[in-house]
Amino acid sequence: MPGSPGPQIAIVGSGPSGCYLAQALLRSLPHAEITIIDRLASPFGLIRYGVAADHQHTKAITRQFERLFQAGNVRFAGNVELGRDVGLDELRAHFDAVVLATGLSADRALALPGGELPGVIGAGTVTRALNAHPDEPTTLPDLGSDVVLIGAGNVALDLLRFLVKAESDYDASDIADPALERYLGSPAARVTVASRSDAAHAKGDAQMLRELAALPRAVYRLPDDPGSALADDGALDRAQAGRLAAVEELVASERPAHPGPAVTLRFGVIPVRILGEERVEAVEFAAGDDVVVVPATSVITAVGFAASDPLAELLADHSEVGGIEPGLYRTGWAKRGPSGGIPENRACAKSVAEEIVADVTSGALPGSETRLGFDGLPADVRAASVDYAQWLRLEQHERELAPSGRIRRKISDHDRMVAIAHDRA
Amino acid sequence: MKFTVLYGTESGNSELIAEDLGAKLRETELDVEVADLQDTDPASLGADRFVIVVCSTHGDGDLPNTAIPFAEAFDAALPDLTGMRYAMFGLGDTFYEATYSQGSEHIDRRFAAQGAIRVGEYGRHDASSWDLGSDVALEWLPGVLEAAAEPASA
Repeated sequence: MPGSPGPQIAIVGSGPSGCYLAQALLRSLPHAEITIIDRLASPFGLIRYGVAADHQHTKAITRQFERLFQAGNVRFAGNVELGRDVGLDELRAHFDAVVLATGLSADRALALPGGELPGVIGAGTVTRALNAHPDEPTTLPDLGSDVVLIGAGNVALDLLRFLVKAESDYDASDIADPALERYLGSPAARVTVASRSDAAHAKGDAQMLRELAALPRAVYRLPDDPGSALADDGALDRAQAGRLAAVEELVASERPAHPGPAVTLRFGVIPVRILGEERVEAVEFAAGDDVVVVPATSVITAVGFAASDPLAELLADHSEVGGIEPGLYRTGWAKRGPSGGIPENRACAKSVAEEIVADVTSGALPGSETRLGFDGLPADVRAASVDYAQWLRLEQHERELAPSGRIRRKISDHDRMVAIAHDRA
Repeated sequence: MKFTVLYGTESGNSELIAEDLGAKLRETELDVEVADLQDTDPASLGADRFVIVVCSTHGDGDLPNTAIPFAEAFDAALPDLTGMRYAMFGLGDTFYEATYSQGSEHIDRRFAAQGAIRVGEYGRHDASSWDLGSDVALEWLPGVLEAAAEPASA
């Protein structure tokens, strides 16, 4: 508002990084007027669309962010896309500070011969489809009988859980049923998880592996010649030792046989190329001096994320500091690159908030009463935007539509989401 | 009574609850501090303040990362907490059955070993429930205050 004593701050992206940043800023700058813009009609970014649907307990973190949007000086402006509805220069003209908190959502490409063959799918694509993301088709491609999962981090383990689970394992979730049903109509018979690292040094958390072990689904084994996959060199830290123990539990002969796919865990293998004529047929791995060829009807790559949007150039180099230039900052994965879970982004947001507060205090950000913040944006952009109350209407709608056994049925059509939010559906 | 609400958090939920408890206490109490365990010197604790700890659970029932420096400083120079009274509110997730809500217990054990006395019920919030952590904590608080007001004899 004109004459407001606090700075006008725009945060681009309403995922955990953006929300944590707003929280941290408000602590030091209680009079700041913060606008969190998002190209989608819904807030919370990765929490809504990147965290697996059967991990609703992780999604509970939105409860603290809901408080943020109800606080009064934090505005949600959904359906506002940087580069389409508003330019970065325009945003910077209306706000004292602009922070990019867009994350990195494109699947990092598997730069291998054959990597472009049909049947090679990014993990993010699958996760988003299962979360009813507006950018993805409402169903999944057919994965076939033999799925090879490349990567063994938490994203890969989320997908492995999806590949082994039955429909009843999604009770009380908000999974996108059409995508789930498509997969369960012809689920994988065999799944191979391939990790470059040995079991102790793979990236997934022990907790995630133990969850798989406890689930009465699937049978796990190591390849007949596991090599040194489970070797304990005696110098493991607690996390590594825990991971190793969890893998041993998963493949233990005492673990009862359960329905579901036969899962082979291959550690210490490096994918060399994807084989196939028209589409994926197999993956060739280097395992020490050996070559292993694993038949595949589909390959899911879970090897990290990259920037995909018009900001890609700004976000390409990862940085220790949030400041790009005075008045322009970045936080979360957009700053540090694609590593670290939700809590790490809180710590990151705190440090970026300190940078911004220091710049406000030192006068490095010349405040100007002519900066109107959200009110300075073009009238049509403001009118088309979805505010927090409108989002709540959409959310209520999704909850009311929930089929039996689900907590919500997500609407996946962006225009329809906006229409429902605006109460003109 | 003087109150200190300490929080140990990984994703911010404990901080929010601690702030809400602090705000509630300020309605009736004159001296209420809310502080991050990360910024708290264990040597500053003592019998002169009633301490409420709100602490989450991380990994395998561990302390959240922000509380680890506090625990290390505590162990390095064990403070005398004789006569200090405190209450615990632990956050956890029954999704992780075996390690549910154990994070706060690392602090509880340390306080008890140094002579502090826990009063009231051990509060808990389960992230797998649809309860709001602050609602549960604010319902828990009056019982703690009642117990705290009783003479420390027993």
